[in-house]
Amino acid sequence: MTNEPHSEFSSVGKSLARPDVAAKATGAARFSADIALPGMLIGRILTSPHAHARIVAIDTSRAKALPGVAAVITHADVPKRGFTRSVMAEGLPPFAYETENLDQYILSDKARYIGDWVAAVAAVDLYVAERALDLIEVEYEVLPAVFDPEDALAPGAPVVHKGWKDNVAGVIEHPFNRGDLDAALASSAHVAEFSGRNSRQKQAHMEPDAAIASWDDKGRLTVWSPSQNAHLAKKAMGRRVFDIGEGNVRWITPAVGGGFGARLSFGVEPVAAMLAKVTGRPVKVLVTREEDFNGWNSRTEQRQTIRVGVGEAGEITAIEQDVLSDSGAYFSHSGTISAVNMQSTLGVMRSPVVRGKALMVYTNNPTASGMRGYGNPEGSFILQQALDIAAEKCGMDPVDFRLKNARGPGEPSMWEPQAITTCALPECIRRGAVAIGWDQKWHGWGAGKEGRYRRGVGMSIMTHASGAGGFLLEHSTAVMKLDEDGTASLSVSPCEMGQGILGVLAQIAAEGAGLRYEDVRTVTGDTDVTLFDIGTHASRSTYAIGNAALDAARKVKAIVVERAARMLGVESEGLDVRDGRVFAVADSSVGVSVAEVAHAGIYEYGTDARHIMATGKHQSVMHCPNFQAGFAEIEVDVETGVIKVLKLVIAHDIGRAINPLTVEGCLEGGAAQGLGYALTEDLVIDKGTGKVVSDSFATYKMLSALDMPEVEVILVEEPDPTGPFGAKGVGETGITNVAPAIANALYDAAGVRVHSLPITPEKVLEALRAHGAGA
Amino acid sequence: MAKEIATFIVNGQGYEVIVEPHMLLIDVLRDSIGLVGTKYGCGAGDCGACTVLLEGKPVFACLTLAVTARDRSLTTIEGLADGAGLHPIQQAFVDAGAVQCGFCTPGMVLTTKALLDENPEPTRGEIKAFLAGNLCRCTGYVKIVEAVESAAGILRNGGAR
Amino acid sequence: MHRALLPFEFSEPASVEEAVALVDGGRARALAGGVDLVLKMRLRQETPERVVSLQKIAGLDHVRVDAHGGGALHIGALATLRQVEQSAAVTQGWPLLAEAIASIVSMQTKVMGTLVGNLCVGTPASDVAPALFALGARVKIAGVGDERDIAVEDFFLGPGVTAVRPHELVTEVVVPARPVGSAGRFLKLSKTADDIAKVNVAVSVAFSRGTCAHARIAIGSAAPTPVRAVAAEELLLREDWCPATAKAAAEAAARSVRPISDVRSTADYRAEMVKVLVRDALTQAADGAGVLDGHDGKEA
Repeated sequence: MTNEPHSEFSSVGKSLARPDVAAKATGAARFSADIALPGMLIGRILTSPHAHARIVAIDTSRAKALPGVAAVITHADVPKRGFTRSVMAEGLPPFAYETENLDQYILSDKARYIGDWVAAVAAVDLYVAERALDLIEVEYEVLPAVFDPEDALAPGAPVVHKGWKDNVAGVIEHPFNRGDLDAALASSAHVAEFSGRNSRQKQAHMEPDAAIASWDDKGRLTVWSPSQNAHLAKKAMGRRVFDIGEGNVRWITPAVGGGFGARLSFGVEPVAAMLAKVTGRPVKVLVTREEDFNGWNSRTEQRQTIRVGVGEAGEITAIEQDVLSDSGAYFSHSGTISAVNMQSTLGVMRSPVVRGKALMVYTNNPTASGMRGYGNPEGSFILQQALDIAAEKCGMDPVDFRLKNARGPGEPSMWEPQAITTCALPECIRRGAVAIGWDQKWHGWGAGKEGRYRRGVGMSIMTHASGAGGFLLEHSTAVMKLDEDGTASLSVSPCEMGQGILGVLAQIAAEGAGLRYEDVRTVTGDTDVTLFDIGTHASRSTYAIGNAALDAARKVKAIVVERAARMLGVESEGLDVRDGRVFAVADSSVGVSVAEVAHAGIYEYGTDARHIMATGKHQSVMHCPNFQAGFAEIEVDVETGVIKVLKLVIAHDIGRAINPLTVEGCLEGGAAQGLGYALTEDLVIDKGTGKVVSDSFATYKMLSALDMPEVEVILVEEPDPTGPFGAKGVGETGITNVAPAIANALYDAAGVRVHSLPITPEKVLEALRAHGAGA
Repeated sequence: MAKEIATFIVNGQGYEVIVEPHMLLIDVLRDSIGLVGTKYGCGAGDCGACTVLLEGKPVFACLTLAVTARDRSLTTIEGLADGAGLHPIQQAFVDAGAVQCGFCTPGMVLTTKALLDENPEPTRGEIKAFLAGNLCRCTGYVKIVEAVESAAGILRNGGAR
Repeated sequence: MHRALLPFEFSEPASVEEAVALVDGGRARALAGGVDLVLKMRLRQETPERVVSLQKIAGLDHVRVDAHGGGALHIGALATLRQVEQSAAVTQGWPLLAEAIASIVSMQTKVMGTLVGNLCVGTPASDVAPALFALGARVKIAGVGDERDIAVEDFFLGPGVTAVRPHELVTEVVVPARPVGSAGRFLKLSKTADDIAKVNVAVSVAFSRGTCAHARIAIGSAAPTPVRAVAAEELLLREDWCPATAKAAAEAAARSVRPISDVRSTADYRAEMVKVLVRDALTQAADGAGVLDGHDGKEA
């Protein structure tokens, strides 16, 4: 264990068991698809077999005639209201929301990718629903399609969206561009350049999408689905998809089987809501894994070039980043992901001159979105190799080059108007280097390794937000109330999708209020109960919702102290609360239990009754960046191109680990996804037809237990004054450094670089051939 | 056969269910019997989330025709714990931090049960090999392997911790 | 795309005779473990009107050594991959087969799936097939009123196409006793440990005074069917054993494959890897057979 519990705390810093996991281990936890309502119908969606086709006619009569079918709907039955699948976009400031393309309808009259939604059925059961799908007859006019974003920009390319002059979905200039790039690069001692592209990694949450919708007799809609940001989804459903207002939508989030960014978008909820509206009955819409792979979520493929100018002393003089994003058929997250890519990629190193530009392009590929890291793993794969190339040109050790050029406290953060408060990156780099054995294993540039099996080490660094402040609305409100027995309910609205946030928030609230951890219940998952929150993304929940919970807890504690003081007949200044007991700091034998105080507040027979509760808030334009260094040691077989990862090290600037076990789990799981992103995971789309070829776990290969190497997680704790007990974010970060560290290790081992992800043996062998090395 | 009333013996209890040949075991367990702890992850035998024990051996409920499981002993995640407490394997998963989103957990726990029934003292390599048909997207398997090692020790010790 | 299967008739015959009368390989399909068939039915790649379960047929789940038949290994049509992998007879007598099955890592697949079913899928990527090719296995096929017996190499006709005709069922795979002094090796390249092979190779060799006396080389995932590299085998039998011989045999083996590009790999890579894997497998098997330290052929 990396971290000793902090003795000054009762709950914080301890690896306490999460409140939600026992039910998950017994099968008692209820995920969306597990829920059955009385009278509920099963919904299924008909998808397009064509990548680009106008729907000339749909004959639903045979499907409707099938006994057990309650409704069949098509584009003709849905509101003519455009929306974006990104419900996270609801948190954008209005000027930025205007650049989001509202190009999505519940069902469309034109299919824009293979898998696009054409019609939907609600029936008494799955069997009838699927037979009805088979009976829907669609007449398509197949249109020319385009699958490559560069082809989509060519004059005369098929235009994906009607009424658009071309396929340019958007252009973003990095908001913090500065200086004269051409002049800076021209006067630099060296210019390093690296180009490449990432893959469309699938979030691949193990729980397939499912949604239940039900309308009551007053026209109020309730949705059950795995959303990462229920309050924003509520708004999007109430204002964009339907015109009923936020108050007429209640969003319930059952247990969520992983999200990784996918559930910042609408899944099948709009279809479920439409089917439920038409039938007047609850409808549960189910999808298959193949439909998910052919569908509406993946990391966005970005083609990038990064140039780094360096001065004589190894100081970075300029960085330029050029991004081309393949939005796929609909805009979804492609704008925000491109912007965040540039912020995080251009935000880690100090540079007097910065230039970033992103272009988003429509194609007839499945809709891309955002995945864990949200632009950072995309940009880091390019930047961190460019940095190594720059270090080589300067003859500097990659560790020293990064230590010299990385931003530190007081300097601008990735959201530049804000300064970095704390930064343990140098410590992360130093401890990570020791853990991987950098000084013993890195033999300098051009070490000229020989033999069939060649080992190498590589590194990467990153910064990531702990919250959306500055970029999106950053607002969480928490409520804490004390019951008569001194236990508390903490009402919060993160998405518990496996990361352990419910336990972390209970630990923070317990510590803040002076209660025992086991006496704090987290109440969540229902927008009728919880107060506003932008949800779980941007690695924000511990930091932002934690701050809100702590604010509420401290207010509760203050009320408890004040009332206890009156009960004890002492001054409140000398009292403290810990582990459920109020006591005098000077004489701990003087005290009263929180339970007694709470009970006395409610069962108060005079005029001073009070159910002790408080709301707490986090609102900020700051996002408290966290930092991380990652290292990899690999062995490459130059005859097969196979990379064997011997060890990964992730050293993270966590501020304070509220629960070290969950932080480790987050980073280990992130590392596994990062390793899949680096080496095996590839959403392959046929270039001729636009069909997703890797549409199953048999063809889209994530790591199995046998594929995981040793991962060493190092938690560097330097509490940040703005975080709850000093905590910073971690959720997305474990994924980011893995691919670039492996890519740099490959160069160290074999002197080659691969320019696209995943780094497959096929590509390694090709690079070795081109390099004249290998077998 | 066409539609018939069949008996399924799940977690030691008999259930009479109307089945047709095309019904999959996972749907009978989840929809007909109401044991929704068995999870549908891929429908293709690729992820292992639907793993149940058929006569003690781990099988994919998503690729098993329900009719072929009639009158045979089935164990689902709901049948593992004896009473209200957790089975030592479940407890080990909770304690080790091996549960994140929990969607793979029922299948992972049951596959672990099958492993430890046949090999009470597995090596790390044997654990990884036995669990390689169960995908987890959250944990990177690190803490799952630790949990299985810990559960093996506890079970060898007669369930004491 | 579908989550549920289409309706079909279901039969559970009690004998092979009854079963062969029912199955026609098209509208009526045999079900053993179901791993492949049920998935294909969900995906509508197979839409049989009748599914004929073999699971109630007694006497098909054996894995046994026939002492009277020259010590051959008999694997019944219902013997699961797990049963074969765990059989002491197999791990001791035919470790190459156990090694190949071990490379299929999903325990559930091995518990449900049968070895015969694995062959009957007819996939060129079968891990079991190259091992059985290298071991000289034969396949017993029952028809209406008769039974035939073919070499496993003749069983595979094309992707998804086998020698099993309508109203026939594979009842058994028979693996002859291993040549004395022989050693085998199975090697596989795949994206992840649980993936299907990009290329797999099985070899079985025995030596006499520094030259190959027995050589069988089989390659999977590199042609429309698993293939035997006969030219490479002949070269091995002709030439004195040395690293160059292994390399030359590997080059020859690469000429006997016709790989394609697909979601798992490219044709070029596969062709290249056939050379590497065959050479490595031969070298490691030769080591196992004792040729390197001069102990080869001692038992012969």
